[in-house]
Amino acid sequence: MQRTPGTPVKLLAIVCLAAPLHAGAQVSNPFEGDARAIRAGERLYANRCAACHGADGKGATGPDVTMLWLEGTNDEHVFQTVREGVDGAVMPPSFAPDEELWAMVAYLRDISTVPPFDPAGGDAGSGREIFAANCAQCHRVNGDGGTLGPDLSNIAAVRSREALIGSIRDPSETVEAGYRTVTLVAADGERIEGVVKGEDAFSIQVVDTDARLQGYLKANLRRFVHEDESLMPRFGRLRLSERELDDLLAFLGTLREDASADR
Amino acid sequence: MSMRKTLVLVSGLLLTTTVAGALFAQSDPSDSVPGDPSDPGVSYADILRGFDDPSSWLTYSGDFSGRRHSPLTQINRENVNRLAPAWTFQTGTLTRGRGFETTPLLYDGVLYVTGSNNFAWALDARTGRPFWTYQRDLPDNLTYGRVAPVNRGFGMLGNRLFMVTLDAHLLAFDRRTGNVLWDVVLADYEIGHAATLAPLVIDDKVVVGISGGEYPTRGFIDAYDPATGDLVWRFYTIPDWGEPGSETWPNEEAAMQGGGGTWMTGSYDPELDLLYWGTGNPNPDYYGASRLGDNLYTASIVAVEGATGELKWHYQFTPHDIHDWDSNHVPVQAELMIDGEERKVVMVANRNGFFYVLDRRDGELLLAEPFTDTTWAREIGADGRPIVLNNDGSGGCLPDQWGGTNFMPPTYDPALELFFVNARETCSSYVPFEPEYVRGEATTGGVVWTDRDVEYGALRAIDVMTGERLWEFRYPSATMAGVMSTAAGLVFAGDHQGNFMAFDGATGENLWYYPTGSRIWGAAAMTYILDGRQFVVIPSGTTLVAFALPRYEFASPAGGR
Repeated sequence: MQRTPGTPVKLLAIVCLAAPLHAGAQVSNPFEGDARAIRAGERLYANRCAACHGADGKGATGPDVTMLWLEGTNDEHVFQTVREGVDGAVMPPSFAPDEELWAMVAYLRDISTVPPFDPAGGDAGSGREIFAANCAQCHRVNGDGGTLGPDLSNIAAVRSREALIGSIRDPSETVEAGYRTVTLVAADGERIEGVVKGEDAFSIQVVDTDARLQGYLKANLRRFVHEDESLMPRFGRLRLSERELDDLLAFLGTLREDASADR
Repeated sequence: MSMRKTLVLVSGLLLTTTVAGALFAQSDPSDSVPGDPSDPGVSYADILRGFDDPSSWLTYSGDFSGRRHSPLTQINRENVNRLAPAWTFQTGTLTRGRGFETTPLLYDGVLYVTGSNNFAWALDARTGRPFWTYQRDLPDNLTYGRVAPVNRGFGMLGNRLFMVTLDAHLLAFDRRTGNVLWDVVLADYEIGHAATLAPLVIDDKVVVGISGGEYPTRGFIDAYDPATGDLVWRFYTIPDWGEPGSETWPNEEAAMQGGGGTWMTGSYDPELDLLYWGTGNPNPDYYGASRLGDNLYTASIVAVEGATGELKWHYQFTPHDIHDWDSNHVPVQAELMIDGEERKVVMVANRNGFFYVLDRRDGELLLAEPFTDTTWAREIGADGRPIVLNNDGSGGCLPDQWGGTNFMPPTYDPALELFFVNARETCSSYVPFEPEYVRGEATTGGVVWTDRDVEYGALRAIDVMTGERLWEFRYPSATMAGVMSTAAGLVFAGDHQGNFMAFDGATGENLWYYPTGSRIWGAAAMTYILDGRQFVVIPSGTTLVAFALPRYEFASPAGGR
């Protein structure tokens, strides 16, 4: 297993970036991890924030707020942003009591992080080889691999083990926007498979299975079909045994640490 | 409140015409009094004539009918595919999360344009180049005005322009300088109010409405004296306690903070002296347990006398709404032959997914048919109330909180007897909970779960006699863009991907499109003719884009109407 050492220099850099601009010790959330506060925060979020940031925090007219901690923020910074609003943007300041804001921060942090993988079982070294043989053609990890599928460098920090198993065993169950399959038939009969990166009423922007970025005018196509199936093959038990799956997950689990060390 | 007016010194000023130079000469900040006696400006009679003079556009919808249907035919089905950008005006502003929702007014070759964050401009309608720029110095603690920093346009009378603000004021400007002539407070912005609509100027009155239905507020329509800014009358959309309609609220407290905003410009029948105005959602948006009852006059259309502000009739589209389905739409007037009798009607495609035709003299419901595929209700009962099948989304998809359409203007072509609207097909369910009140915070009271994977938008043509959907043109996602039609049989529409498009109104065939590069949100096109050349103008992103045929395309330098 190859692991990036958690060098003190890098860790120091993370702390500096994440720290608030003003001097002094970072203020911690008095309700961090408190289940009741998280429930209260969920309601407050739904009432005051969901209209712009989406009921699930994944963004609507406002940005996704579930990636904040992954991107290196901290509780105090989120608290201050909610308190003061965002200058030059539509996000207003809040006049609510501190306790309510901390409860919202606790909720946001709860939905923004996933528990670490269970370290039990799985050989990460073997998993790396399985990844190289089966996944790297389409998926990148720390700069290496294909570009057709999502970059998995941070995947263990944003997806639970159960969600990853689901995506490996049955990739068509949930396909993220930007990776949905389309089949095009050009005027000359050429058949093109790829994933949709953009679409409007008149055109479609596709990355095909050769990783070629290309836009097409719908009027020039013989037909185009949005497929329900992901381009990623199903990795059932015959293709990937339970043990191999454990190994692969163990490898993906190491990326969580590697990714955080790189920040 | 301090005001700041910025004169924009256009690069290349020395090359501009003497007319433009003269306008600049009048832009002395000390000149706050309308000074040119030779041009009295826009009269009420001019506004009444509406589209009779298509070299002007003097009120939000182009005329009082709300149809947004221009008589211009220079751009037609045969040549529209050669339409090309004539100029672009970059506002340099932000409108994060929302759109550039304005309809410019046009008078004497000058476009008067409002923008987000209470910017405003006077532009050369031939080139898009500015004469003056205004920006209001807004307070830091805006409430709804911070969430939706938009504005939908000026009203105009004489040499005055009227604009509402995000801190809930109404301003009058000298159109020649951009100087503020008077400034009156509509409501307290700190409790949740804001103002975003285009004022509607009727005979000697400036009529405006208010935003803030997501907060504990009480909506109203106001009429002001254009000369002085004095309040002439106020109509509250929620009646005083004890007055008719108040019995549809459980108690006075719930009623007096029950929302019912009036944030979209209405239409006006000068013969009947009736204003038709949509009212917004009851507050809290999704939590109905604290406001049991129909909650009049929220989610309704009200017909209010222009002279007095008295309520003549009302019709409630969504009794006891729990979906944030404001009824703030442009009410569209028409004269229809129904059973051998000409009826004066007003038409609304509502956020609840139904298309309605009402007699505009007395509010009698003549037709109500769904124009979207919602499962909320599929018919309106004999009592005029929807037969609700599924009120929370548990029995299938409901329209999301943005509705089956929204405030973006629809259009009506009387020759085709077709109503054109951008419909939104979305899939949501609603989970309410009791909100807690914090001053200055929204009290929506619930969560809306929306499946964005199944949504789409569509321009739809509705037969106003039957409510039948004649044709549709689909977009990949639900749009918030408006629609305009012309006597050439064209329909101009926008979408969320930023395409500005022209359609054959009779068939739905797409004849032309132009990718503007940013979503068209809350705005519809306007059109005018200058020097014999027809322009079509659409706000997109934070730019204003004008289209016209290449100069060699149009035949007569004097005509082409």
